[in-house]
Amino acid sequence: MNRREFLFHSGGGLGGVALAALLGADSARADGGVHHKPKAKRVVQLFMAGGASHVDLFDYKPELVKRHGQVANFGEHVEAFQNGLGPWLKPLWEFKAYGKSGKMISETVSPLGDVIDEMAFVHNVIGKTGVHSQGTLLQTTGFNRPGFPGMGCWVSYGLGTLNANLPAFVVLPDHRGLASNGTKNWDSAFLAAQHQGVAIYPGTKTPVEDLFPDERAKFVTPASDKAAIDLLTQLNREHATARPGDARLEARIKSYELAANMQLAAPEALDISKETKETLKLYGLDHGKGTFDKDINPVEEADHFGRKCLVARRLLERGVRFVQIWSGNDNGFPRRNWDSHEDVKRDHGPLAYGMARGAAALIADLKRTGLLEDTIVLWTTEFGRMPSSQGGKGRDHNPYCFTNWLAGGGIKGGVTYGPSDDFGYKPADRKNPTEVYDIHATILYLLGINHTKLTVRNNGIDRRLTDVHGHVINDLIR
Amino acid sequence: MLVRLPPLALALLALPTAHGENPKPIDFARDVKPIFAAHCVSCHGAEKQRAGLRLDRRAEALKGGDTGPAFVPGKPAESLIYKLVTHADADQRMPPKKPALGAAEVNTLREWIAQGAKWPDDGSAAANPADWWSFKPVARAAVPAGAHPVDHFVRAKLKEKGLAPSPEADKRTLIRRLYFDLIGLPPTAEEVEAFEKDARANAYELLVDKLLASPQYGERWARHWLDVVHFGETHGYDKDKPRPNAWPYRDYVIRALNADKPYARFLQEQIAGDVLFPGTVDGIEALGFLAAGPWDFIGHAEVPESKIDGKVARHLDRDDFVSNTMGTFVGLTVHCAQCHNHKFDPISQEDYYKLQAVFAAIDRTDKIYDADPKTAARRAELEAQKRGANERIAALSAKARATAGAELAALETQLAEATKPASAPKPAEFGYHSLIAPTADLTKWVQIDLQDSQQIERVLLKPCDDDFNNIGAGFGFPVRFKIEVSDDAGFKTATVIADETATDFPRPGMTAYASAKGAKGRYVRVTATKLAPRQNDFIFALAELEALDATGKNLARGKPVSALDSIEAGPRWRKSNLTDGLAAPGPKLSAPELAKLTERRDSLMNKALGATGAADIAAARKAANDAESELGKLAGARRTAYIGAVHTGGGNFVGTGGKGGEPRPIHLLARGDVTKPLTEVQPGAITALPGVKGTFTLPATHAEGERRAALAKWITDANHPLTYRVMANRVWQYHFGRGIVDTPNDFGKMGQLPTHPELLDYLAAELRDHQSVKRLHKLILTSATYKQQSTSIAANAKVDGDNRCMWRQNRRKLEAEAVRDSILSVAGKLDLTAGGPSFQDFVVEKPEHSPHYQYHLYDPEDAKAHRRAVYRFVVRSKQQPFMAALDCADPSLAVEKRNETQTPQQALALLNNRLALAMAKHFAARAEQLGTTDAERVSAALRLALGRAPTVAERDALTKYAREHGLANACRVILNLNEFVFVD
Repeated sequence: MNRREFLFHSGGGLGGVALAALLGADSARADGGVHHKPKAKRVVQLFMAGGASHVDLFDYKPELVKRHGQVANFGEHVEAFQNGLGPWLKPLWEFKAYGKSGKMISETVSPLGDVIDEMAFVHNVIGKTGVHSQGTLLQTTGFNRPGFPGMGCWVSYGLGTLNANLPAFVVLPDHRGLASNGTKNWDSAFLAAQHQGVAIYPGTKTPVEDLFPDERAKFVTPASDKAAIDLLTQLNREHATARPGDARLEARIKSYELAANMQLAAPEALDISKETKETLKLYGLDHGKGTFDKDINPVEEADHFGRKCLVARRLLERGVRFVQIWSGNDNGFPRRNWDSHEDVKRDHGPLAYGMARGAAALIADLKRTGLLEDTIVLWTTEFGRMPSSQGGKGRDHNPYCFTNWLAGGGIKGGVTYGPSDDFGYKPADRKNPTEVYDIHATILYLLGINHTKLTVRNNGIDRRLTDVHGHVINDLIR
Repeated sequence: MLVRLPPLALALLALPTAHGENPKPIDFARDVKPIFAAHCVSCHGAEKQRAGLRLDRRAEALKGGDTGPAFVPGKPAESLIYKLVTHADADQRMPPKKPALGAAEVNTLREWIAQGAKWPDDGSAAANPADWWSFKPVARAAVPAGAHPVDHFVRAKLKEKGLAPSPEADKRTLIRRLYFDLIGLPPTAEEVEAFEKDARANAYELLVDKLLASPQYGERWARHWLDVVHFGETHGYDKDKPRPNAWPYRDYVIRALNADKPYARFLQEQIAGDVLFPGTVDGIEALGFLAAGPWDFIGHAEVPESKIDGKVARHLDRDDFVSNTMGTFVGLTVHCAQCHNHKFDPISQEDYYKLQAVFAAIDRTDKIYDADPKTAARRAELEAQKRGANERIAALSAKARATAGAELAALETQLAEATKPASAPKPAEFGYHSLIAPTADLTKWVQIDLQDSQQIERVLLKPCDDDFNNIGAGFGFPVRFKIEVSDDAGFKTATVIADETATDFPRPGMTAYASAKGAKGRYVRVTATKLAPRQNDFIFALAELEALDATGKNLARGKPVSALDSIEAGPRWRKSNLTDGLAAPGPKLSAPELAKLTERRDSLMNKALGATGAADIAAARKAANDAESELGKLAGARRTAYIGAVHTGGGNFVGTGGKGGEPRPIHLLARGDVTKPLTEVQPGAITALPGVKGTFTLPATHAEGERRAALAKWITDANHPLTYRVMANRVWQYHFGRGIVDTPNDFGKMGQLPTHPELLDYLAAELRDHQSVKRLHKLILTSATYKQQSTSIAANAKVDGDNRCMWRQNRRKLEAEAVRDSILSVAGKLDLTAGGPSFQDFVVEKPEHSPHYQYHLYDPEDAKAHRRAVYRFVVRSKQQPFMAALDCADPSLAVEKRNETQTPQQALALLNNRLALAMAKHFAARAEQLGTTDAERVSAALRLALGRAPTVAERDALTKYAREHGLANACRVILNLNEFVFVD
């Protein structure tokens, strides 16, 4: 049992956890890893809610172009989520080669062409089911049912924080609403609350819940607030002195100090007004528009996603360990997510362009600031979409095969790993697909963590992010 | 894993061995074990047992895996393990995806098998997984006369460790401790003072009795129970739909605890109350236990059971029933036996699926029932009357058919066809729905604006069909009403074209109502003068209004609708639905046509039956109609609870109700994979647990409930080694902050050992023999161990820093609910109203699709939310941020023990949250009245919050702060004090 485990287990409400909270960045190793020397310190996860189409964005399938409109023969019975698979449907956009690697990607994500040689693609990821909630949970927590900590929680738990004045795990939800499962995708479940993803809505009146006094309470002023913390510290310290040997009391005093620090640190981290014109342009924030059209459109999507990416860079710079950025909300109408059953072009077009613009800017900007060296960028989604059409212009869910890509933080750029079959229906090698466990194992490995050893006992089971699975994908590692 | 032997491997085997005819003896431990350890055990060992095989322990290795023995002593060529490691096809070869074994290793393995595969005894065969402390019978050790049992066992341990117990805490500390522990609220300053002054010898005991008898006791302890059973009021997963009828279970738990219901009965009701205690409200509402956890709405409603995804969703759902039941009641992690036999505990994979079979018929569903037994009896009587009458009609009809000619047969077919429910799907747009009224006699209207004055021939009203409370066809159709036409939007003058206001109009089912005449006008208004009954309230709803002209054209289609009021919950209910052309399909014939056919049939039948028979059938028809109409009157008396039961409702999701609750067949699943079913299993419990018989003896034709009843009886068997230990441990845990077993949901081998096994057994025996949780509380609370000070003693801490030996009481941090309730309480705003639907401290946006639960839009001054936190509506997809910051239980997982953190987010929540600040202000207003100077007021505030007078230093510091920043700010500081959230 290492020190952290000891603290956790002896915790159970009796001091250990509070101590752990106090210690903050308490990595077990001087070099920042837990089990071995890490290649990365931070992670950004880009999550496309609803199920992004690999065959229209990143996984080029000439066979689909060739057979467009022909009766789709999968060679086996296909269990679709909704019934009614149509003929083969070619990618909705042209594909072109980019960079030294010559990787073919779709026109709608062309901004990523600029950073393509930083990216490593995995085209044979498989899920478990085609149900949104389960697909989302599987990718965010490693389990297809609720009740398990998000990946960022595990990273926070394993590595602690780099800056106690900011949360270790920040979530930037889609501004339109939460995706399937809501906050279950980043809740800490059985891990302590300080590992929970903190949802932040940059640019809104209350970007962080309760960061400042509720505006209805006029009696609190900055002066009364500051004096309150001082008075609390004084009174709490008297109380604690009379009760020696209880570290929680001191930890709670400290938490008020950290809270006050966070009130300064968070707004500063979220304020993009001092970013240069060039940077704003890079992220697609130079459009000069105050309002947007009612219908979904690429400029607006680039603005929303780009803003989150820029804030992510600022947070990472300031020591946040894990940032999760969401594109798309729950499955409502009109579609504001990637669940394009009816019309891929209509939804994927603006969303993909917006995502690509922001993601490309983030990679370039991290590279410029030197952070890309030890920051992993992971792009993922619930599942892919079928190579045949649904209702002419849409595509049904494809949990049998989809794409992830990674960049930075020890990832080998310009790599395409694990091809899908000729149609993007299933992995080319069906016996050796990539699972979310492998992606998670690889990322933990890069962070200096052996995924089989980062465990927490809950209800009688030593729980891991990777359950009882997972292999590090060495082909992706520099 | 199935193996085909490739020709190449066979050829290899035929070759002479490298060692020829004189092989050197192989030593298993030296030569073979390292090979297994290096190549095999990572998948075939303690961690994983791929293909059911373990190669790290003799007993399991000799038994082999799913496909038979791993090796045949003396015959390498016939040994599966040898065939697999030498397989020519890299895809088939073991270990998979890894380099093959080296030639030397292969030789060693072959020689070892050839020499008889000798594996020295490693004791694994003798290891009995059932040999474990918690599986042994509960044994009550003797306690010397006069000694308190708790202290007797605790002191013995202290003595053993050379530790001295701590002195008794002072009375102020004790009363605060007891209040928070038993009712979760602070004592008032007066209560503290009275207790301090109470010199009676049994003052403490009397206080314990008083608190145990308080209605707030059940509220406090129900919350602990709800943590464990992961009670929530939305489904979770995608769309996170609300469960408006989940609260009766919460009230049941509170009620049961307050009544000190015998523990075995409390358990039995939650698993099979409907079967074991029929005709009781508790027997139904307790089943909310089974339905407490999350439910994958899309995986069930949009994906049928025939699809793999549908199977996965249902498998996960049953797993939740099994895990919740076994984790909560017997503290076993049976869900670990889903893919393989439990690695540590005596739970076979088959046991696990037998437990799934117990719940194979049920789903999570709204159950409608009568709370009043008299109403239930009346309903049963009427239903029997209806059934009897229908049987008489059927018998007489059969008789008539035998003598009547072909015309009767043809007519009956025609009628059956016309009244058969339509197979076309019901539109999602149900219709117009008024606001809900408390009484039937309110007048409500809805009207159409045809845009200009037109000649209307007649008006059709199409009834709604909703599943709500099984009212179904004709939902909300007014009992008395009229239809008017006018050119005045305000209907000051109007032509009445239909008047049904004099007598009750019988529920029309799905038959459309047609006005007898028409009139000219721009506006058509339907006025309900007596509303339709619902559960405890009244409404007015219509699916469609058609205004037909002479050619039969509907003039109202798409025209604007206005109404006195409307619930406007689109897409199902909104005004515009009234003219959208969408209505649930009704009967295929018009009412007059139907009446004509019926009349003709009746006359043919009467002729065939003769005068007496005709009179009989007429009387039977009248009896059936009377019963039906009386039943209609009872519709509003029913209650609904969300429980685990056979699902009979409509909608996309299909349960087992259509098959009369016949359980789904449950198969053992190879590695838990729904696409790999093995043998079908019968319901049962854990077979290897000593002392209780895990095999059920159920007749072949048993009802599904008998399965649950058998499980409930198995769990509550007085000989069950776990049931009473598990609960006694939970009760202890909530009194001391840590259980005697520190893993309350796992009493198996991966769980912690009890710190005081004899004490735990004594408490378990008390609970088993007296069945009283309150008696158990009192036993614990009256011990010197409980009454100890919580202050640490350096010398003791050196020996036992974690206080596992209980040399002091543990200082307790209050849970989210206790903090919230205390804030409301000291602010003078706590509303102690008990029971009923949960308060919602959020605003729901977009309810029609995926509800967004918006906590920040809620007004903290809204008194609806000032009730105790146990009555808060618990959402799964978005936890209440204030409560979550304070470590409240996550309803998506079984919370055996709360996490406890001191995070900056928690500080921010208590400092800045809207509710905390609103209450700080009320708190200040209250304190304002209690003094004339700032010093007096802050002193009063501190006394309200902490039950004590401030020290001089505290008073001065708070007074100075209040003078500068106001009393509200000072009260805000007090609510954030460590002493406010920690109880000594």
